[in-house]
Amino acid sequence: MPFIDIVIIILAVGTLVGVVAWSIRNKKKGKTSCGCDCSKCSGCSSCKETPKK
Amino acid sequence: MKNFALAGNPNCGKTTLFNALTGSTAHVGNWPGVTVDKKEGVYKKLEENVNVVDLPGIYSLSPYTPEEVVARNYILDEKPDCVINIIDATNLERNLYLTTQIMEIDVPMVIALNMMDAVEKAGDKIDAKDLEARLGLPVIPISALRSEGIHELMERAYESAKTPRAGVTVLEESAIKHLVWDVKIALSAQKVENPVFHAVKLVEEDELEVEAHKDILHMVDEFKSTFDDEIFGTDFESLIADGRYKYITKNFSPALKRKNKNPLRMTTSDKVDRVLTHKIWGIPIFLAILFAMFHLTFSENFLGIGTLFSLPTLDEIGVGEGIGRDLLACVYDGVIYSPGVILFNLMDLLTATLSGWISGGVMSLGASDWVMGFVSDGVLAGISGVLSFVPQIVFLLLLLSILEDTGYMARVAFILDRICRKFGVSGRAFIPMIMGFGCSVPAMINTRTLADEKEKVMTIRAIPFFTCGAKVPVLTGVAGAIAMFFNTGNADIITYSMYVLGLVVAVVTIIAMHSTTQRGEITPFIMELPAYHLPSGRALMIHLWDKVKHYVKKVFTIILASTIVIWFLSNFSWAFWNGLVAIEDSILASLGKLLQPIFTPLGFGSQLGGLGWMFVVAAITGLIAKENVIATFAALSAVLGSVVASESGVTEIALIIAKTGITIPGLLAFIVFNMTTIPCFASVATAKGELGRRVWWTILFWMVTSMCSGAVVYAFATMFTEWSTWSILVSVLFVIVAVLSVVLVRRYNKLHPKKR
Repeated sequence: MPFIDIVIIILAVGTLVGVVAWSIRNKKKGKTSCGCDCSKCSGCSSCKETPKK
Repeated sequence: MKNFALAGNPNCGKTTLFNALTGSTAHVGNWPGVTVDKKEGVYKKLEENVNVVDLPGIYSLSPYTPEEVVARNYILDEKPDCVINIIDATNLERNLYLTTQIMEIDVPMVIALNMMDAVEKAGDKIDAKDLEARLGLPVIPISALRSEGIHELMERAYESAKTPRAGVTVLEESAIKHLVWDVKIALSAQKVENPVFHAVKLVEEDELEVEAHKDILHMVDEFKSTFDDEIFGTDFESLIADGRYKYITKNFSPALKRKNKNPLRMTTSDKVDRVLTHKIWGIPIFLAILFAMFHLTFSENFLGIGTLFSLPTLDEIGVGEGIGRDLLACVYDGVIYSPGVILFNLMDLLTATLSGWISGGVMSLGASDWVMGFVSDGVLAGISGVLSFVPQIVFLLLLLSILEDTGYMARVAFILDRICRKFGVSGRAFIPMIMGFGCSVPAMINTRTLADEKEKVMTIRAIPFFTCGAKVPVLTGVAGAIAMFFNTGNADIITYSMYVLGLVVAVVTIIAMHSTTQRGEITPFIMELPAYHLPSGRALMIHLWDKVKHYVKKVFTIILASTIVIWFLSNFSWAFWNGLVAIEDSILASLGKLLQPIFTPLGFGSQLGGLGWMFVVAAITGLIAKENVIATFAALSAVLGSVVASESGVTEIALIIAKTGITIPGLLAFIVFNMTTIPCFASVATAKGELGRRVWWTILFWMVTSMCSGAVVYAFATMFTEWSTWSILVSVLFVIVAVLSVVLVRRYNKLHPKKR
């Protein structure tokens, strides 16, 4: 298998694992799973802690 | 670290000051009620860092609204080291009403006299020194918008925070001073903190105080029984409000010198409002503004110039191939494109060029064919397909932000109140709905400002029908593909119609909810209309930058991961160890075919046969995030093998239209389904936070609404395009069902009136 194939497979798997881990971390922190911090919620405790209402 | 709280009336500039102090990018809106909960940031320019808390805007410390409860609880329970009371200097007397209440709490406080630039511009004068002497509190003139005077404000606040301050009441000059004082002594004897504040509130019969001090209520009632006012009788709340205003008028009015003595003189805002909020012309003007906005963003025939004049195409002019032609084609090709479409074309050109370079690079490194397919058809096609829409979305949001920042959107809530009430919600509920044009998540959070629970439920459920930025690619992509493939209609008219259809769905569903599961009275709508002003460039840029950042972050995380998964599912069968298979035999095809019959009434189900499942799969992946719809189309069309990664989202969808044989009604139903269904996982999580377990009913509501809306649009559009017996029968059936439902619900409501 060419070296570039291995690199791309590792990157793809890494991306998938990273995104899943990032989503789980955000969920634990109370953020919405997409990490939505669009302007209206930025720095807003209510937004970041929505599930803790 | 010291804690400073920013408190003041709605729309007095608290969040603007908060941003200026902390370097934050919290959203600033020119209407009351943008901040629904406290925000925190750090001010770093004093000898020690100070935590700054931006509280929601309030008119009083009485628990009339959720914002007032949040602000009151923070000041009383969290005990900030200093309260910075921001006063809109253009509206001094009304703002000081809150000041007289905060003064009653045992907390150091300073007054920030904001919008002094506007006062000076109007030719008025406020003597800050005189005000300071009369209040006995530091008063600092500032302009939060221009960041003027804010460091001095923080220095004075920092100094004030070093010395404790006992609460004082301005009611000492009123008739009930003895009554308040007697209660205060009783509270002090019980070692209650903030005795002056609690004494006044107990006399007012504030519901939170009555609940908290039940043990001394009999004593307070005894004191009160000895008192009777000639005008107010025993209405102590009015008596106290009257006492505060008398004090304000007597002591602070002299500090304000007005250039124009006539308070009834019309301001520029009033004059503009006579036109924009006109009871007849207000709504048509709003719809015209909305259409102009969409025309500027989506039109491929700007101002109809291409129709009015016969303009030559680039081929007819004889423009040769090359980058010059590519750039020129972004702006003009027989027709002049609107600014939004020009931006889209430029971004599309950029992403296509970059995709080509990356594909070429990977190929030159000797990647095998299937890896090339993965990079080119999976990742690059998906990502570039979604990224192409970024400038167009940003342009639309810029126009929306300008309308919001000028103060026009607040007027829209006002002019629509009369209509909204007929449907079952107040104009106040329209504000979060308007915010839904940007993003459903903050819009749903803003529903906390709605006092009525049923109104809140209805609003949250209706918000996704206001097309958010993430749905723009679906709209533009499919509408553009319709215009391109069928050579019919203008993309901007289809897009505008779909936005209006979203509003219609919102209205119909609100009426349905208000007549059935959410019956109840409509709360009154009172809102202070902000003055019109030119949008702040900085605030607009902050807002848009946040949007771009959020969108791009989503593209390179959720969307990227989705495209990888979609590519895998569309290239491998359940026996994936056997290697790549044709797309018809893939896992995705088998899943899509399983769900395909469900979407038959919407025109993109079983009737499409062969590759029809592609629309089903795109719709399902869109439930995670709407950008996935285009990413899915891009990946699928690339796997079909007829396009390369450099094609635009529109071309890719046109290819799938050609391969599946879907009709215009089916495509319109597909757009409607995506516009009205579950918006994204993030919105569902937010709705869950706001509604708790009722979120499951809400998800069901969105699914049923989208299926019904899609089916209705498909049936009626088919009737108009094909005029077949079947389509006419189905359309008539829909009308009969709708009329019967209305009659039955009305009959039921008449027989079972709601208990008040």
